[in-house]
Amino acid sequence: MRRELTTLVASFIVLSVPLAAHHSWTADYDAAKPVTVKGVVTKVEWTNPHTHFYIESKDEKGTVTSWNFEMASTLALERGGWSRKTLPVGAEVTISGFGGRAVTERAIASSIMTADGRSLFVAKPGN
Amino acid sequence: MRKSLVVVVAVSIVGVALPFVAQSQDLGRRLGGENGPRRAAAVDRPVPKLADGKVDLSGVWSGGGDGTIERLLKPGELDGIMLPWAKKLYAERNATDGLDPYFTCMPGGPLRITGGFGWRLVQHPTTNSTHIFMLQEGNAHTYRQIFVDGRKHPEDPSPTWYGHSIGRWEGDTLVIDTIGLNDKFWLDSGGTPHTEQLHMVERYTRTDFNTLRREVTIQDPGAFTRPFTVTFTARLGTPDSEILEYICIENNQYGLAQGLSLPNAKK
Repeated sequence: MRRELTTLVASFIVLSVPLAAHHSWTADYDAAKPVTVKGVVTKVEWTNPHTHFYIESKDEKGTVTSWNFEMASTLALERGGWSRKTLPVGAEVTISGFGGRAVTERAIASSIMTADGRSLFVAKPGN
Repeated sequence: MRKSLVVVVAVSIVGVALPFVAQSQDLGRRLGGENGPRRAAAVDRPVPKLADGKVDLSGVWSGGGDGTIERLLKPGELDGIMLPWAKKLYAERNATDGLDPYFTCMPGGPLRITGGFGWRLVQHPTTNSTHIFMLQEGNAHTYRQIFVDGRKHPEDPSPTWYGHSIGRWEGDTLVIDTIGLNDKFWLDSGGTPHTEQLHMVERYTRTDFNTLRREVTIQDPGAFTRPFTVTFTARLGTPDSEILEYICIENNQYGLAQGLSLPNAKK
């Protein structure tokens, strides 16, 4: 038990180290503002330093909200198996991420699920 | 007991994993760590040599300049050697997240050119080579030029982002000496300050087929009380690795989500 706890504590420390990294994404985005948006891709900016996917979502009342989701660079996505056509205009997606500190609808994506239930690579996991 | 431990573990993992995943992506985006080429699997091959007997360092590499100086040194060491003005500026930079010129697409300087993004070392494959190039795919899509023809540094070079670099071989180690740097970039992603007196001596050793050790001695009497050395490791990319194009200024929206409008950021 003690040993397991030690392992747990050790894992926690290892996992926590990157959290302390300087100049984190939290400068622009707020970890306390998790967002999940289901909508349709209206524009793709296959650009650097980051790609941007623009999504329009509609709530129960029919109110449309436009979102600008930041994604990884074209390099990271291409090396992760993407092309500029992976998520085209008109595609239905569910994107989760974190809202911008000042502008919530300028968000950063942490996961993407396509309408047919495929989870797309967001950034290289693990290594 | 075991069941409760499992619950504790699961809760801890969920608690840590969410920000960790996002942070991990961020390192990829901001610093390029995950933008790099896939790393080659370990192979049992000797370090390659050129016809003239020099070690061949050419290839696509990833890493070798990421990591902050503060973390690479002993705890408290950086703080102990920064001059008072540098310590003050370092604290300010750490308090005002986001002002690293690198995030507005300016070059990262010589220490960071090998960090994060993939980079290719081009070594003239003949005897009597005169230049070595380091090509970085990321950020400002830039390069370093290292003169290996025996020339000296100019007397009083105008400071530039990558300075004046001369290289020489000490056995199987490539030694690069750089001066003539400006003070417009942050030395590392941690925000370590420096001055135009910065003098970098890098020692590159291919310790095995896949590994390039980079030992950097930093001397800057304008910022630090004494020289210090930090060591990085670059890994060889898979054989099919190529550097790709990345033009940071193309669509930089950095700062907009936090309500800032920074130079080189597009609305």
